[in-house]
Amino acid sequence: MAFSAVSEKYSGKMREMEIGTGDKKVVVGGQATMPFCTFDGDYPHRPVIAMEVYDVVDPEWPAAVVDPFKDVINDPVAWAKKNVEEYGAQMICLQLASTDPNGENRSADEAAALAKEMASALSVPLLVWGSGNVEKDADVLSKVCEVCEGMNLLVGPAVEENYKKIAAAALGYGHNVVSQSPIDVNMAKQMNILISNLGLPMEKIIMEPSTGALGYGVEYTYSVMERISLAALSQNDEKMQCPMINDLGKECWKAREVKLTDEEEPSFGPDMEKRGVLWEAMTAFDMLLAGSNLLIMRNPKAVKLTEQLISELM
Amino acid sequence: MSKIILSSAIRGAHKIVDRVEGKINAALEKFGADQDVKLPNTAYYLPVIYGMTGYKVEKIGDMPKVIEMCRDLLPEVPSEEAWLPYLGPGLDAGMAACFAYDVEEALKYLEDPCPYLPMKEDPEDTDPDIWLGAADDVILRKRGVEFVDGSAPGFAAVVGAAKDVETAVAIAKELQEKSIYVFMAGPNPNGVTFAEQLKEGGVQLGWNTRLVPFGKDVSAAIHALGFATRAALTFGGIKPGDFKGNLLYNKYRVFAFVLALDEVDDEKYAAAAGAINWGFPTIADTDIPEILPTGVCTYEHVVSNIPQEEIVSKAIEVRGLKITITKIDIPVSYGPAFEGERIKKDAMHVELGGPKSMGFEFAYSKPLDEVEDGKFTVVGPDLDDVEVGGLLPIGIWIELAGRKFQEDFEPILERQCHHLLNGAEGVLHIGQRDIVWMRISKKAYEAGFRLKHFGTILHAKMHNEFGAIVDKVQVTIYTDEEKVKELLAVARNTWHERDNRLADMTDETTETYYSCTLCQSFAPTHVCVVTPERPGLCGAYNWLDCRASYEINPHGPNQPIEKGETIDERLGKWKGVDEFVGPASGNAFESFAAYSIMEDPMTSCGCFEAIAACLFAANAIMVVDRDYTGDTPCGMPFSTLAGTVGGGLQTPGFVGISKFYIGSKKFISAEGGLKRLAWMPKALKEQLKDLIDKRGEEIGIPNMYDLIATEENGTTEEEVMAFMSEVGHPALEMDPLM
Ligand code: SF4
Repeated sequence: MAFSAVSEKYSGKMREMEIGTGDKKVVVGGQATMPFCTFDGDYPHRPVIAMEVYDVVDPEWPAAVVDPFKDVINDPVAWAKKNVEEYGAQMICLQLASTDPNGENRSADEAAALAKEMASALSVPLLVWGSGNVEKDADVLSKVCEVCEGMNLLVGPAVEENYKKIAAAALGYGHNVVSQSPIDVNMAKQMNILISNLGLPMEKIIMEPSTGALGYGVEYTYSVMERISLAALSQNDEKMQCPMINDLGKECWKAREVKLTDEEEPSFGPDMEKRGVLWEAMTAFDMLLAGSNLLIMRNPKAVKLTEQLISELM
Repeated sequence: MSKIILSSAIRGAHKIVDRVEGKINAALEKFGADQDVKLPNTAYYLPVIYGMTGYKVEKIGDMPKVIEMCRDLLPEVPSEEAWLPYLGPGLDAGMAACFAYDVEEALKYLEDPCPYLPMKEDPEDTDPDIWLGAADDVILRKRGVEFVDGSAPGFAAVVGAAKDVETAVAIAKELQEKSIYVFMAGPNPNGVTFAEQLKEGGVQLGWNTRLVPFGKDVSAAIHALGFATRAALTFGGIKPGDFKGNLLYNKYRVFAFVLALDEVDDEKYAAAAGAINWGFPTIADTDIPEILPTGVCTYEHVVSNIPQEEIVSKAIEVRGLKITITKIDIPVSYGPAFEGERIKKDAMHVELGGPKSMGFEFAYSKPLDEVEDGKFTVVGPDLDDVEVGGLLPIGIWIELAGRKFQEDFEPILERQCHHLLNGAEGVLHIGQRDIVWMRISKKAYEAGFRLKHFGTILHAKMHNEFGAIVDKVQVTIYTDEEKVKELLAVARNTWHERDNRLADMTDETTETYYSCTLCQSFAPTHVCVVTPERPGLCGAYNWLDCRASYEINPHGPNQPIEKGETIDERLGKWKGVDEFVGPASGNAFESFAAYSIMEDPMTSCGCFEAIAACLFAANAIMVVDRDYTGDTPCGMPFSTLAGTVGGGLQTPGFVGISKFYIGSKKFISAEGGLKRLAWMPKALKEQLKDLIDKRGEEIGIPNMYDLIATEENGTTEEEVMAFMSEVGHPALEMDPLM
């Protein structure tokens, strides 16, 4: 008997999200099958990697993520350009770490001005990420939306406690929003509903299920994402059909396995760079296989490895 | 609509349209048809006309067409005899008046000098006048965002003037405190305006203080409706010309109302009728005819004769506005971090209630007009009146009201006291109902914490967390011993009634059950179907809890299930339930039987309080709870059983249950119910003695309690069987389980 491949049929499909405007525009999502199962259905867009740029760098960062940017590390716009021009970034993620009230506590206005400067200077779309301080992020990100009116950025993370301010500003000034939920399918769905109830169309929402790095809960993130995909595709659950994003760079580069020297932990071996790059790339692979559409990453070599993998799988 | 209002509104609208027609003709003569007209800096033309009809007025020559539209809308003034019971003609007349006003205001920008300060956010002292005119698109976007994110709950369009400057300032302040924008236009019959009163009272006007003086004439009130209409176009994705979408967007999302101060003439009636189209009700201080029945607006349309002192709170009630309190005004910190805090004896200023005294808390609901929101009273000695380390009885008496409040929510809100009061630094709260025990630390006392602050906390948190159902919260703290005693007796009566309420409900007479999918976070296919007689298997959610949780959070994990046609009465299968379970379980299951352990039993997640399992040889069932770690007659201890049964699976022969369910009439009733129960751990059996005795009576086996074996009688099926024949267990006579 001849072999005939079994094909899965799905009733639903992920929404497409457009980020940026004009020639800067990038589209993510839109797949109608489980990750990379291109033989089962449509897979219109390659997952995209947004390379990170920080407005302030933690002195604890390992050399592997300082050296590639050494010349530009204090100039976020130049760093962003370098990521695009030298490392081929398709998108930039501006991490506004400096706005954290427990750190430098830079003002929303200052952060928004930087975001605007960067967005205007770049030839790729911009993603703007808050410091993770719930209250401050509401101020900072809504200001970013206002100042960058009409640029169709992606901003986040919006969480249960602050989504109203962020999403309303995104709606008013024409941007997309990252809806972040604490590794919980129900919450992910609820966040989408809450945000869209404010009037922001579902096409403008991307989900961040809370990302754990390899060895730090990656498997939880994986299962949640898989379940979101199944709900969206098999059950045609419209409220789950938003594409997904993973903020993984910062999770990976703080892992113990990445930060310890071989003096501190001889069994890890001396090549710290390789360790870190693989850690980030492996986490990225996992997230891609779980259905991610957009990855936030830091190290150029890890990005390159991940791009290679995507090309092989597509 | 009341006939008097209707006639006045129609008369007023005719007057306005006639006047504006005259103005258009004059403008045509003076400037010519090609003269551009527009509100400054907006892409929405004359916004009300554009939003409602899609018609763009760009030149004076476009204006006569608007008058035609108005004439089409305008009904005849009803004759004395005609009887017109409907809102319709009045609303149309109101809309015609709005179109005409839109034109009239646009023409003002052609006047020289222009009566408005275009593109300013705030009037300054150096400006010739205070009137700002229409908001431009920059302001609209910036302020509109606040309406979307809820930091501005709505706006009040104030027409006329307060009785004096002080009252005007007080009204404005009250609205400001609630973050409501105040849009001002139009004078009272003596030519005085609310905005000018505020200016006289030294109040800073402008968008930044949320007190916006639109214009001196009543026609300027149209800028409020223009703002609302544009908000729907900008934020609601509503298309120009989609009047229905636009009006509904405003009804449900822009919480606005009209405050008509002082006399209301025909023109103002017409404007008020116009505003009703957007769902914005009018609240007046004068004795004008009311329109109480609800229809277009969420609640009443026109409410009159409200004293100016109470007009703001009445307006909030009529518009159904939800208030959130951003800062809890107490002298100590507040947050979840303080919930676990302990207060030792020597650190405590006073102890309230507890074993050495009396302490209780009680929440109940009353009609809206019998509760005064934000009123806190202390009856009896306060913290200053006791010696350090002293003891007081305490009764926390919470009166609630809300349009959507139901009696069944009372216990749920009452139960919140514990976690809400514990959040304050230096406040310890233990227990509920009549076993309340509290301590307040010396530090909290020294920082200025007093008993009334319990009210502040409960008021703020209940508004914020339960705003969907609560509109008013009033709190009285009793420390007077006699009073506490007296009210405790009242509360006990109510508690008794509440306990019986659910007990009296049956699955048969209830049409709506509730789902719970909270546990899907770790058991993806798990669904609890909660009925009045079958609580969720964790024991934490009964039917009333699920219903309340649904009302409070309609997008949450508890959804109503219309049970629909009964498929099998004995098994507890309903069409509606099965239709729900399929998609809710990710199509893992097709059917649930609420009352069976053998056929399509409900799924078990992992947080079941106990597990019921079949003992086939004995033709009986056993129940084991989480606290019992020993062997059981089915051959597995609880932990192994839990691993087998849990994870969102249907496992015939096993089912996760709440302990309380054992006393229900529907406890595994498809297989014979309690009569089948042959073994349970001793501690559990003792804990449930009352339930078992009661149910035993009902089924005619009053000594059922003694017929159930425990680990003392054995932990193998053989031993249980021996015990069963020794006591003559009823299951021996029953149909075989399989
Ligand atoms: S076990 Fe309790 S919390 Fe979990 S789904 Fe059932 S009722 Fe909800």
